[in-house]
Amino acid sequence: MSDLDDDERAHRMTFRRRALVLGGVQAAGLCALGWRFFNLQVLQEGRYAPLAEDNRINLQIIAPKRGRILDRNGVELAGNDEVFRASLIPALTQDVRASLAQFRRIIPLSADDAEKIARRAKSQNRNIAIPIASDLTFEQVAKINVFAPQLPGIRTEIGWRRRYRQGSAVGHIVGYTGRVERLSLDDDAVMRLPGAKIGKSGIEAGQEAILRGRGGSQKIEVDARGRIVRTLETLDPVAGRDVTLTIDIALQRRVMERLQVERRASCVGIDIATGGVVVMASTPNYDPAEVADGLTDEAWQRLAGSAEHPMTNRAISGQYPPGSTFKMVTALAALQAKRVNTVERITCTGRYVLGDTTFRCWHRSGHGAVNIHEALRSSCDVFFFEMARRLGIETLADVARLCGLGTAYDCGLSDPKAGLVPDPDWKRGRLIGSWLGGETILAGIGQGYMLTTPVQLAVMTARIASGKAIVPSLVKRGADEDAPHFDDLGFDEAHLRTVRSGLVAVVNDPEGTGKNAALGPGMPQVAGKTGTSQVSRASSDSAQEALPWKLRDHALFVSYLPAGAPRYAFSAIVEHGGGGGVTAAPLVRDLMTMVLERDAAVMQGAVRDGPAPAAAADREG
Amino acid sequence: MGYTLSSPSEDGLVAKLWRVNWPVLVVAAAIAGMGAAALYSVAGGSFQPWAERHTLRFLVAVGVVLIMAMVRPETWLRAAYPAYGVALAMLVLVPIAGVEALGAKRWLTVGGMTFQPSEFMKLALVLALARYYQWLPEERASQPVWVLIPALMIVIPVALTMRQPDLGSGVLFAMVGLVLMFLAGVSVFYFAGAGLTAVAALPVIWWQLRDYQRRRLEIFLNPDQDPLGAGYHITQSKIALGSGGVSGKGFMHGTQSQLDFVPEKHTDFIATMLGEEWGFAGLLVLLALYAILLTLMLAMAWRCRHPFGRLLIAGTAMTLFIYVFINLAMVTGMVPVVGVPLPLVSYGGTSMTTLMIGLGLAMSSHVHGARPIRRDAAGALF
Repeated sequence: MSDLDDDERAHRMTFRRRALVLGGVQAAGLCALGWRFFNLQVLQEGRYAPLAEDNRINLQIIAPKRGRILDRNGVELAGNDEVFRASLIPALTQDVRASLAQFRRIIPLSADDAEKIARRAKSQNRNIAIPIASDLTFEQVAKINVFAPQLPGIRTEIGWRRRYRQGSAVGHIVGYTGRVERLSLDDDAVMRLPGAKIGKSGIEAGQEAILRGRGGSQKIEVDARGRIVRTLETLDPVAGRDVTLTIDIALQRRVMERLQVERRASCVGIDIATGGVVVMASTPNYDPAEVADGLTDEAWQRLAGSAEHPMTNRAISGQYPPGSTFKMVTALAALQAKRVNTVERITCTGRYVLGDTTFRCWHRSGHGAVNIHEALRSSCDVFFFEMARRLGIETLADVARLCGLGTAYDCGLSDPKAGLVPDPDWKRGRLIGSWLGGETILAGIGQGYMLTTPVQLAVMTARIASGKAIVPSLVKRGADEDAPHFDDLGFDEAHLRTVRSGLVAVVNDPEGTGKNAALGPGMPQVAGKTGTSQVSRASSDSAQEALPWKLRDHALFVSYLPAGAPRYAFSAIVEHGGGGGVTAAPLVRDLMTMVLERDAAVMQGAVRDGPAPAAAADREG
Repeated sequence: MGYTLSSPSEDGLVAKLWRVNWPVLVVAAAIAGMGAAALYSVAGGSFQPWAERHTLRFLVAVGVVLIMAMVRPETWLRAAYPAYGVALAMLVLVPIAGVEALGAKRWLTVGGMTFQPSEFMKLALVLALARYYQWLPEERASQPVWVLIPALMIVIPVALTMRQPDLGSGVLFAMVGLVLMFLAGVSVFYFAGAGLTAVAALPVIWWQLRDYQRRRLEIFLNPDQDPLGAGYHITQSKIALGSGGVSGKGFMHGTQSQLDFVPEKHTDFIATMLGEEWGFAGLLVLLALYAILLTLMLAMAWRCRHPFGRLLIAGTAMTLFIYVFINLAMVTGMVPVVGVPLPLVSYGGTSMTTLMIGLGLAMSSHVHGARPIRRDAAGALF
């Protein structure tokens, strides 16, 4: 009993001692608050106290000007038009209706609209401006300013409207801006302004942080009738910075014209030295000017709801099985892992049996005994089935990832897709059963679960052409920035040479599958790989032309050039285009020709490069 | 060590009511009254929609305090661990079954009623820690194992609420928990060690924060960098306070607050309203009332004859102090905006309920304070 009492006494003494300390801390805390109030309310009173009883201090937000989007030569892809607007701040007038009535005497405004504005003024935060008239002429602005004393709460301001003058050719790249939909407590106050716009897609969304700039503000003291008594503090807005792209609008236009021959297609060209995207196109497409100016619901439904998905930039967001273009990865992986050498021949009878499943080569009667060079050249499926079996899916997937697959490349745009490099872990995570041996075999020729985007295929080609970890970008580096350094991927140079010689044969050997991509005499030598990715089971057994369009295979082609010293890498995919060598290879050939012609023109100085962008724009427009 | 629940010295209801610490309730009522007046003014001179309900809520809460005070502390002692367990289970359930609002999952719906488990945990944690130190002999309080157990009791709910994400509650649990351990006599060396670890862990915590939480902190550290974004509220709040001056603009005459410049002016930013209309003088009165309330509670704890009661009372007082300090520091731009209400003044049922239930628990120990509780009164759980 006394033990307990002693313990309780000890407990109590400790508690009391420490409670005193705590009480002291709390007292200090409350004193600190008191001092803070004293500081704000007594010492600094003059700073914030309005001069007269009914006056108040109003914090107005000034929107910054959005940065422009330019092509590599400075041609404007997205800019701003100056517009004059009038707006009403309910807090700055005693009688909203009276102000509006006065306003209607000098500027046309329907009674209905005036009533709507008056009602809105009651229901919303009284310090937020309500736009009442836009697209005012200079004379109208002058009039409003002259009558300002009779128009309390109404003011004119200069605003900007986003302007897209290059039409649909760069629609997917530039993107568009639209209304701010979700506001949170932390958002930029500029976003709370009426008519605030935010990037919704393309560069407009991807480079929002650079383009937006920083809002300014003005603290003004106004009297009860809304007249400005004095300006307390002004913070100028900071305009958004311009974004210069790596593409060339003239080239982009020509490529787009060529691409539109197809119904749904996409192509990408990358400068291997810098990672700069020289061409990125996707069809069908849309004109950002139409979207930005506000579509009717119907028109929007037509665009966004269309089965053709014109709003989707297929180059970064379209996901397709890579088909036989993936064989360059399988070949490199097999060489690198020493599962095959350059001389071993594997006999293709047109069939490959694994367990009780039979896989067939696209060449029904078989390629005969082929080595790795011939297998690439003729795109022999059986050879790569065997390579995949020898490698196993994990090794194959690792090399595919090294080659850039499975990674989302936004290139500076928004919403890129990552594609899919399947492996047993992924399949387990999806709870769709364990990995099957046959799935490895299919992965060897880029079929099955594997998905890639056109930009990933161009990256894959560029990486094999250079052996370096090329990363693509649409945003041009400033003159003061160093050229990017890409790390070596660590592939054996001899193995890379073997694969590349196979790719050269695809285009230049009489037996190659991609002969249609070869350029004329006097032009650089091209290396490439065809691909045909199956859309339906039926497609493997019937002639493509006989099938309904929706069931035809996707046609793919990837290439790089010049074969000896790679400078550009390309990829193209034509949805339901049939065979890659037939449909996609000629497309890439035309694409390469256009890029080289532009290069030649630049070398000869025939085309403007740098100065006089305005004149150039006129010629293009 | 047998102990019978029916003690011969049990008092009648009237005697108990007589012993209720009425000054505490009077001061609390004065603070709530200031709140009601401010809410009347915010609503443009109307009891609707806030002032009337605020007053009613407070009156009901006083009733709850009185009823809770009649219950003997042994009952609350017995309920402590189960309550903590239930609170913990609910916190675990929030990410699974919770309702999301404004990007954070904090609410659970039970039988049509939506509530925040983190509020319940505020009480349960204080109860459980007080219960623990009621049982633990003082000489063991600083032994590592016996320090580790309460530390875990604090860390687990902190980690769970931080993930919701509810930074405010997480910080509150940690601070109240540490203060209770300090008052229970845990060696100061542990606190020094914990302080050093916390400083070392700052970069990790920074990395764990959500983007919006980071931005708030950055803007707090450099408010001029963004007077329009997240700094907007603080700027408006400071203008309103500053324009109030020494004596304020007068009741219902706060032009800044009345004109919607100040956000959340009936909840988290209500002190801005008070400061503008009643000036420095008004805020000083409010601070004084809080100081009196805290002192009265500390005195209650001082006289209490068992660790459970002392820690319960001190824990409730500490919760009150932290709320007051963070809220007032927030509206004056001393700490980042964290969304903490001003106790008894801000409109909103949750914080008042939590605080008044805490007061009820504290009052129970005060009313029955003459008798010590035996250490094993709840039947030794350990």
